[in-house]
Amino acid sequence: MWFKAKAPVLGDFEQLVLLGVLRLELQDSAYGAAIRQEIHARSGRDVSINAVYTTLERLEIKGFLKWWVGDPTPQRGGRRRKFYALRPAGVAALRQAYRAFTSMADGLQARLETK
Amino acid sequence: MKIDPPRFAIWLLSMRLRDEWRDFVVGDLEEEFAARHGDSPVAAHAWLWWQTMRCLAAPPPTRPNPSLHRPSQGDSRMRTLFADSRYALRVMSRTPSFGVAVVSVLAVGIGANTAIFSIVNSVLLRPLPFEEPERLVRIFTRTPGGRPFELSAGKFYGWQREAQSFEGMAMYRFRQFALGGTGTARAIQAGAVGAGFFEVVRARPTLGRLFRPEEDSPGGKYVAILSDRFWKTELGGAPDVIGHTLKLNDETYTIIGVMPTSASVASWAAMACDIWVPMALTDEQRAARGNHNQQGVARLKAGVELAQARSEMDAISTQLGREFPNTDKGWGAVIIPMQEEIVGDRRTMLLMLLGAVGLVLLIACANVGSLLFTRTLGRRKEIAIRSALGAGRGRVFQQLLVEALLLAVVGGALGLLLAHGALTSASTLLASQVPRAEEISIDARVLLFVLGVSLLTGILAGALPAVRAGRSDLNDALKEGGRSDGAIGIGTRRLLIVCEVALSLVLLMGAGVMTQSLLALRHGDTGFDPNNVLKMDVRLVDTRYPSPAQRSSFLDAALQRIRALPGVEAAGTIDDLPLKEGSSQTLDLEGYPPQREPVAVQVRQITPGYLRAMRIPLLRGRDVVESDAEVLLVSRDAAKLYWGADDPIGRRATLPFSKTVLRRVVGIVGDVKQRNLSEATTPTVYFYTREPYGKATFVIRTSVPPATLAQPAVGAIRAIDPEQPVVDIRTMVQVLDGGLTSQRFSALLLGVFAGVALLLAALGIYSVLSYIVRGRSREIGIRTALGARRADVLRLVIVEGMSPALAGIGAGMIASLASAKVMETLVFGVSPSDPLTLAAVAATLALVALMASLLPAYRALRLDPVRVLRGE
Repeated sequence: MWFKAKAPVLGDFEQLVLLGVLRLELQDSAYGAAIRQEIHARSGRDVSINAVYTTLERLEIKGFLKWWVGDPTPQRGGRRRKFYALRPAGVAALRQAYRAFTSMADGLQARLETK
Repeated sequence: MKIDPPRFAIWLLSMRLRDEWRDFVVGDLEEEFAARHGDSPVAAHAWLWWQTMRCLAAPPPTRPNPSLHRPSQGDSRMRTLFADSRYALRVMSRTPSFGVAVVSVLAVGIGANTAIFSIVNSVLLRPLPFEEPERLVRIFTRTPGGRPFELSAGKFYGWQREAQSFEGMAMYRFRQFALGGTGTARAIQAGAVGAGFFEVVRARPTLGRLFRPEEDSPGGKYVAILSDRFWKTELGGAPDVIGHTLKLNDETYTIIGVMPTSASVASWAAMACDIWVPMALTDEQRAARGNHNQQGVARLKAGVELAQARSEMDAISTQLGREFPNTDKGWGAVIIPMQEEIVGDRRTMLLMLLGAVGLVLLIACANVGSLLFTRTLGRRKEIAIRSALGAGRGRVFQQLLVEALLLAVVGGALGLLLAHGALTSASTLLASQVPRAEEISIDARVLLFVLGVSLLTGILAGALPAVRAGRSDLNDALKEGGRSDGAIGIGTRRLLIVCEVALSLVLLMGAGVMTQSLLALRHGDTGFDPNNVLKMDVRLVDTRYPSPAQRSSFLDAALQRIRALPGVEAAGTIDDLPLKEGSSQTLDLEGYPPQREPVAVQVRQITPGYLRAMRIPLLRGRDVVESDAEVLLVSRDAAKLYWGADDPIGRRATLPFSKTVLRRVVGIVGDVKQRNLSEATTPTVYFYTREPYGKATFVIRTSVPPATLAQPAVGAIRAIDPEQPVVDIRTMVQVLDGGLTSQRFSALLLGVFAGVALLLAALGIYSVLSYIVRGRSREIGIRTALGARRADVLRLVIVEGMSPALAGIGAGMIASLASAKVMETLVFGVSPSDPLTLAAVAATLALVALMASLLPAYRALRLDPVRVLRGE
């Protein structure tokens, strides 16, 4: 529709997932369970694996992510992993979100960081 | 080590997820489950199930995913289903009491079904906890009379040599050992097993090794394998136990192995032992063909059918009968699958109970159906508006069905909790009632059962009102003050009452017949008087009492001391108490030609005092006394069987195990139920000998409550020999009750089911009648205003309630007569279609129906015609 923004804005959970991929992709270990655990460990949100994959799928359709399939490993019952990495558009979107967040939060650190 | 996640969850996920996601999601979950399992297995399971539930509810989408590209058009099936569920929840929350009522009725119905199904599942459906259990069989001899009987070693080795159908065949028997070195006397249960026993069962020790062939001989060393339980409780689970020794019956046994927990199977006595030792038969014992005191187990070869093995064994038995005509002629072989042997006659009982509890669920369905129906009628206007706005019949139907299903699923979940609670709290009770009780649990199959039953219940209870609602007339429903609800669907609900009452009658009849059968068994004539009798078992060990004289003097001394106790009226011993299997032999009579087809009678070894202690009547002649040596008492039937019309007193006979000793008959006594309560009395010969063998059950008649004498009586035996174990101290009444556990169990459960059914039926009648009275209040008001008497109004309502109830009673009588066949094998001493019981049950139901009609009738009486008519 005419009022819809051209570049889709990242939702809150999408940001978490993209950040998870960003953290893990350097070690080539950005796959579902690892991203889920990373989000759980850092943000305390114990999300379900299907939520993670649903979001990853959506981000991939938006053109933010690329993926490939790894080799089967025995500790997964011989099942394969699906690895993700950021595309430039994904990095850009994340950067935009980060900028928006930091500039909005600028000067408020004292109030936001107190408990 | 890789830890396997719950397979059922993984299976559910694999079914739900699309191919493109399955590997990734399931793999991720398995991986994280394994990581979490290390911290806490329980938490890991909970986590995995939580994740599974969420994935099942909303799995990752498939591509191309339409919902991402275009807004969905119209109602997709799932979407309306969710909308219907949400709506149902909202409707329900408006009248929570209705929801609570329906859910609790369903929870009771589904819970009871789940509990019984869990038992059936564990006892009948789940394979036995052995390796390839379907190939394990028990082997017995078949007596010339056609009964399965214990094995003799000679026959067993004959079979073992010839039979080709089996991978292995082994003999075993039970021994009781006195565990020495602990200061006090303690008896432990041991299995004396022949060569190859553990190979047939496929039990492997966790520590040490199995018996070697050379150890299964009398010259072999004394060695023992421990059960896991014995090893842990008695020896503290010491890892260096191999090579240590145990004192059993004053002999030193070397421990050579320890079995794992998994090898202990409570439902099969041979694997429930504390320890196992080699059988170590002498050559003479191995050749014995007439002495039947061994048990047998075998494993069929893969691919060999039971019938094949049976016919082969029959052929071998016939062959052996020709070779050894004296001992083997007429004897056969019996092969029974292990599962059948363990479950035994409980199978019919359990299936009957499952059927009965199914009836309870049907009644609950009828009840809930009736409630939903009433409710649907109350919502006629709402439904009519929905139809007017364009909702098709299908939509209305679906919505009402979803409501019913939702209630049923909640009821099912609660029922599952109920069943779990009931099974846990009744686990000790169950242990004595059904075989394999320790294996009863709620597994995936039970969960599937609950789900299936819940959905079925929802459909059964919900379909009728839903169909009926779709048919209601729009115009009529929308009319203001349309208050003729009372007339709608009355026929349907009357039919529901007829069904409820009929089903209740079938259940009540079952419970009534079962209880009568229990009473008949419990209080029927056993031939002895079980009240005020205490019994205890003593087994004199050969090593301590090697000579018959020593055993005889021990028994004499023990009886003397026991008789001297205050409160003891009489005391004696017998080798095997009534209601227990025992020796069965044939007699050779002096001065009579040998019988062509000798009939075996029960043979028991007693001491003086036994008859008086059990109050077995002495019909003629005299009782045995201490000064006797080698004399016989015969029961009336045994006398008739052997001596016919002649008087047996003063005549002599020999018993097969001591052909040289001629024993004189001194008296004729009453017949006793030797084998079990549900069989008739059995002809019996009692002998009193100065050379007893070491097995004795003391029977003590008391003038005080028998249980109070347990301590002093054990003390009397300990005073003679402090190391002598005394076991199984019970009153005779307890022994009698112990033989009735399965009847008691089914009578109790049937009683509970019938009670619930009665309550539900009463509730059903009450709710429908209340509804009718409310619907017809205007009519009743007008009648009252026109001068109808109170009695007329009363009759109007009660006839309304009683006519379907009476129709139900009639239908139920026919149904229970038709289903009498099922009960035939389960009851004793009473016909399953006993007219007196049927009449009593019908009267009870009629009374309950009347009571249920009274309250609505009372309400109708109190209607004020002025207010009713003004209320228009």
